This record gives sequence, structure tokens and C-alpha cells, in this order.
Amino acid sequence: MARFWLIKLARTLLTLWFVVTFTFIVLRTSGDPVMALVGPDALPDEIEQFREQWGLNQSLVVQYFSYIGQMVTGQFGVSLRNSRPVMEIILERVPWTLLLGFCSFALAALVGIPAGIAAALRRGRFLDRAVMAVAVFGFALPNFFMGILLILLFSLVLRVLPSSGTGTFWHLIMPVLTLSTFTAGTLARFTRSAMLEVLERPYMRAAAAKGVSSWRRIVFHAFPNAAIPIVTIVGLNLGQLIAGAIVVETVFAWPGIGRLLVTAVSARDLAVVQGLVLVIAFTMVMANLAVDLIYGLLDPRIRGGGR
Amino acid sequence: MITRRGFGKVAAGALALSATGTRVLAQGERPVINVAVDNLWSNFNTINGISTTTRRIFPNIYSVLVERDLIADPTGVTLTPGLATEWSREGKVWTFQLREGVKFHDGVTMTAEDVAFSLGAERLWGEKPFEPRGKTFTEGFIRVEAVGPLTVEIETEHEDPFVPGKLSGYIGFVVPKEHYLKVGVDAFGQHPIGTGPYSVVRFTPGEVLETVAFDDYWDGAPPAAGVNWKIVPEFAGRMAGVVSGEFEFMVNIPTDQMAQLESFDNVTVRHELAGNYPAMVFNTLDEPGNPLTDVNLRRAMVHAVDMEAITEALFGGLTIHPAVPFNFKEYGDFYDPDAEPAYPYDPDKARELVAASGYNGEELDWHITRQFYPNYEAAAEIMVEMFRQVGINVRANVLDNFQLVYERPWHMQNQSNSTEFIPGDPYRPLWLDWGPNSGRGRPDSRTYAWDPTPEYLAASEKFLVATEFEDRYAGYLEMRQAWIDYCPAMYMWQSVYNWAHAADIEFIPRADAEMRMFGEYLKLPS
Repeated sequence: MARFWLIKLARTLLTLWFVVTFTFIVLRTSGDPVMALVGPDALPDEIEQFREQWGLNQSLVVQYFSYIGQMVTGQFGVSLRNSRPVMEIILERVPWTLLLGFCSFALAALVGIPAGIAAALRRGRFLDRAVMAVAVFGFALPNFFMGILLILLFSLVLRVLPSSGTGTFWHLIMPVLTLSTFTAGTLARFTRSAMLEVLERPYMRAAAAKGVSSWRRIVFHAFPNAAIPIVTIVGLNLGQLIAGAIVVETVFAWPGIGRLLVTAVSARDLAVVQGLVLVIAFTMVMANLAVDLIYGLLDPRIRGGGR
Repeated sequence: MITRRGFGKVAAGALALSATGTRVLAQGERPVINVAVDNLWSNFNTINGISTTTRRIFPNIYSVLVERDLIADPTGVTLTPGLATEWSREGKVWTFQLREGVKFHDGVTMTAEDVAFSLGAERLWGEKPFEPRGKTFTEGFIRVEAVGPLTVEIETEHEDPFVPGKLSGYIGFVVPKEHYLKVGVDAFGQHPIGTGPYSVVRFTPGEVLETVAFDDYWDGAPPAAGVNWKIVPEFAGRMAGVVSGEFEFMVNIPTDQMAQLESFDNVTVRHELAGNYPAMVFNTLDEPGNPLTDVNLRRAMVHAVDMEAITEALFGGLTIHPAVPFNFKEYGDFYDPDAEPAYPYDPDKARELVAASGYNGEELDWHITRQFYPNYEAAAEIMVEMFRQVGINVRANVLDNFQLVYERPWHMQNQSNSTEFIPGDPYRPLWLDWGPNSGRGRPDSRTYAWDPTPEYLAASEKFLVATEFEDRYAGYLEMRQAWIDYCPAMYMWQSVYNWAHAADIEFIPRADAEMRMFGEYLKLPS
């Protein structure tokens, strides 16, 4: 068991190092950050003053090791744009993205999983077709388009919801709806197919023959066995929630890390981009780790290394 | 007992109230104004933070030394007192008398030391100034000194009659010396202090700038309790917000959407022609594979384009094409309505010039920044076809940001020229933007595109030192002609700034993009 966790931890650290290094290389080799930060007609001494100020006049190797050194000691540097500590900038945005992500995910799971189960139980009937049609619609509709449609309908025409920003519960509704629609659609489709596979299994017929009630068969026999593919999709969709948040946060002027990433990349604010990529990578790695852990809980064969 | 229907009514009422941002105010209470903006710059330093997005906000935070009264004189040429009440010149030395009893937002009284620091070498034009871009706007300054508690002297290298005009722009905003030095330039830009009618309470870059009324403002308490400038990147969000009443103001409306916004009864749409002209700049330098070194080809490209028709098609009469470069209406007496364009739309002439040039049909790479200048890409598509019709092969290369646009090699590039600096004088576009120290005229710059010609430089010597209008006008005409002869760029149209606001608000927009939420510029419903 300890070996299992040590291997997981080593993989996690390796992934984070790879992400940090890759980001560093891409950002440094895709153009001179100083040129993006100073005006187009900046004087040479102005450019030099800027390089000196931010340590960008040193060699790439020195910059890399100094950056890794900072990371190891928990220092993420300061923003090249406004000199504020990077972690402070990121941490003030994280709660907003977590709020949006959590609510969206909860809504998607509450709607998508039961809808998928219901569709599987009514296979080929009207309910199945209706759920799948809505799921495909939700899955196929791009986030930005859905967001703008909702703004036009609820803010411009009906005037019942605020169009952007934060502050009240009502501000949360449209971003959550936009972000959860895609995830709910995906969950419904995968839950349906996983359930259909399980419902055909002999042990389901055996349970029915033993006189187990239908809801007990679904909840205690079918769903746990269908859970592994659903958990996999849930894990993957956590990443999708962050990626989707970039668009949704921009459309609804939601002050989360997705929007921060967009502005930091367009402004080539190296320190902030690097910090954000690391935080997002860390979240993804942790989500995958949690999925692995849940696999183990759901299926003892996985916990035991498949023996 | 709460019934389902009763709950529904309460919920619907709460929803409508919270969502539409209905303004419910006690009598005499001032409202808070919410402005939906497309972007906010990352700092509010008066020079390091120069941008259209800060310019619209600056006068609400800072006051300027010399004012331009755009209400009494829409050309903006007339200068009136701001923080400076009087000014006079003796030779190369200007003396400014300052207003008494002006307070900064932290309660400290403004003195001549603050003004001298705001304009001085340490901050703007010395060896390693805090805000290096200040050098551009203080060219010729050799001494700025507080010579009394409320008296400042500025000495220039040559006699410069335009110093008061220059102080009506960015360099005229006054910052508190002691506080600025104590916190440093970067921290100051995050929490600026000025003498304007609103003081900053929260600035979160990329999100919002919140201000509250500064009732000790030297020109009287402002009409609103505060102004919040919130970023709403999506136009649909800004439009829905101003229509539903969440926002009192919004900025930056795509010109083809203005009519739609105007269709709402509770919204007023305003626009002004800005002191800014997008252009297509030619790379005239002797670089490998650059046929644009031949002036005939450059002139042919200007002759090939029917810019009047393009401007009309894309802007529907909102703006104009400046057929004669630097002959801009905002330059008062310098403007000649009868001036004839040197290279009018004439495809036959264009073909003739192409034949006379050494051009062999090679593709010309036109670098364009994606969605930066409104309608630029649409115009480029039409222009590429017009170039093709006269035998010139152009590729409109739309790139994601300016850094990519500046990367060589390129044949043409999108750029723009601001005409704002000295009110009523073409110094900025003609000299600052094209002179040997400009980005376009300096080999160490990324936008280096031409070497100012001997004729242009000779004329500039007359223009720059002239203290009388007639001499300066003569110099201007010679410089303009030298520029036209060389043809290093084509000016396309005058930019349009636009706004929408709640119909019950009276607002006077300004061509310099400033959104003044005070004084005669803003009247709120009582």
C-alpha cells in the first residue's frame, strides 16, 4: 500500500516539474516578455531598466533555476504588470472559481446522473430519446454561445437576472447554468451507457429472481457497478470545468482564475501565468489522485494492484 | 402560512429588484454610478498607465494643471485654469501660479513641490525616471522648480509657447510627492491619490476600480456618491447591463450595433470623433525583398484605395477619411478645408505607378492586430481586393497581438496616430510620431519604418522653433509636403469613441475619451 502511494506521489511531483518547466520554456521562447510589457517605441535604456528590474537580463538557465528555487520555497514572485505578489493575486480569485465550479458540478451531477439512469431504465422509449436529445444539445452547444443566449434572454429581454459580475445569488445562476450544461450532458450520456451495460449482467437478473425490489437493484446492485466509468468521466470533467470556466468567466465577467489566466496570457505577465498553470496543474493532479483513490474504494481489485 | 403562490410572488419581486439594479434613493442621497467598461489598464500611474482605458477615468481621480474647455469651445483649443490659475512666459521660462487650498485625497494640501515633482526629472525625464514614457512629453524641459509655495517655473531648451497646452494632457496630472516617494511608483499605480473629485477605494486589476466622492474636491462636491468601473468583456453583457439598469453607462459599442442599442427607449447612445487615426504604415527601409522602397509603389497603393467608400460602407457616415494627412479639423487654424489630396482614388494612375516601379508581383505581407482597431480587418479585406485590381498582391496577415505584428519581416503594419497633445497644434502626429526620435524613425525601435528625409528634417527646424503662428504654419506645410512626397503611410479614418447611458442622465462626452463624472459634464436625475 505504501509503495502504491509513493509511486503516486513521485508521479505527481514529476508531472508538476514537467508542467513548470514546459511553461517556463514556452513562455520564454515564444517571444521577449519585455517587449510585450513596454511600449512599441520604448527607448533602449527604458527596456534595459525593465530587464534589470525583473531579472530578465540574466541567462535563461539562471532564470530557470532561480524560478525553480522560488517554487520550492513557496515563492511565486510578483506580477510584472502591477508588482503584486502572484499568490495573493491567484488566491483572491480561487474562491470565485471554486464557487462556480462546485455549484456547476453539483448541478450537473444532480441532473446528469439521474437523467442518465432514467434514460437507461426507459431505453428506447420517449424519456430515453428526450434525455439524450437534451444531453446532445447541452454537449454540443459551445459555452460562449450558450452564455450569450442566456444573457440576451434573461437580462435583456426578460430583465430578471443580472448580466455579469458577482454580488448576489442571482449573479450565480447564468454562469452555473452555462458551465453545468455541458457537464450534465456528458454525465447523462456516460451514465446511460454504463447503466445499460450493467443492467444486462446476470447478477441483475439473479437479484430480480430473488425478489429484490427494483429501486434496491438500481441503487445497490447496478449503480455501484456502473460507477467506475462515471467516476472517470467525473475526474476528466473537473478539468473541463476549469477549461470551461475560462470562457464562462469572460462572458459573465466572473472574477475567477479563468479570466485571470486570459488577461495574464494576453499581457504576457510571466509570473502570474506560471503561478496559474502550476495551480491548475496541481488541481488536475489532485483530482486524478482522488479518482484513483475512489477507484480503490469502489473496486478492491484495483486497490490490491489487480491481484 | 406561506403558500406556493405567495412564495412565487415574493421570489419574483426580489428577483426583479436585485437583478435590474433599480435605483431606490432617499431624498438628497447621491447615487452610485456603475460603468461597464471593456477593459482596465493594469495600473493608474498617470504616465506608465497611459491608455484609452485609463484616460477615460483619470480626470475623475487626478486634476490637471491646465484645462481645455470642450463645452464652450468644442475644438478644445481654448485653455482655462485648472490646478494652475495663471501662467506667463519670459523667454525660455514659464511661471505657473497654483490654486490655493487644493487637497489630495489623503487630506494633504497640494504645494508647488508636488507640481514640480510631478513634472520633474526624477519622475519623468531624468537619467532613470520613475515613469520613463514621460520623456516623450517633456522634450525640451531642462528645469522644473518650485520657486514659491504656490509658484512653479519650467525652463525649456528653446522658447516654447506651447508648454501650457502640453500641461493639459497626461503630464499635467498632479501627484502627491511625499506619498508617491513613500510607496513607490508601482504601489502608487495600484492605489493612486490625486486631487480629483473621486478617490480610489479599491482597484482589482482585470476586474474593477471603485471610487467614492471626494467632497473636499477643489471645484465642489461631485454629483455621485461614487463611480464603479467594472470590466464586462462581452459586448452582450455590457448592452444587457445598461438596458436592464444594472449599469448607468457602458463604453465601446461596435458601430454596427449602435442602432440596436438606440432602439431601447431607456438608453441614449452617444459618439464623438476621436483625436486618433488608424493607418497603414509602409516599411520603406532598404531590407531584402522589400519592393516598398520604391516610392512609386507606395503612392500606387494609396491611389488604389477608395477609402471614402470604405469608410462610408463600414461606418455609415459616423466618421471621415482624412484625405490630406495631418490636415485635421481639430487643429483649428492649421486646418484647410480646401486642401487637395496628393494621391486621390485613381486606379489607372495606380496601375501606371505600379508599372513605373520595380514591383514584380511578389506578395506584400500586411501585419494586422486581431480585433484591435474597429473595422480594420473588414477594411483590409476590401483593400486587398482593390490592390489586386491594380496588380498589387497583398496578404492581410491577421495576428493575435502587437508583439507578433511588430516581428519582422513585414511590408505594411497597422498602427494609429493620436493627435492629442498640444491643443490645436499638429506637433504630436507630425513630429512626435514621425520624427527621428519616434518609434517609426528610430532604428532601435520595433516599429522602425522610415528614415526622416532631409526635406522633412529641414522643415522641422523651422516648425519646432517657431513661436509665431505664421512661421509655425509655414514649417508645418513644408513638413507635411515632405512627408506626403515620401508617402510612408496611409491614414484611413478618424476613430470613433462611443458610449451608451441611462436616458435620464445628461452626459457630455469628450473627443479625448475622458468620461467626466462631475461638473457640467454630468447631470443626474433628481
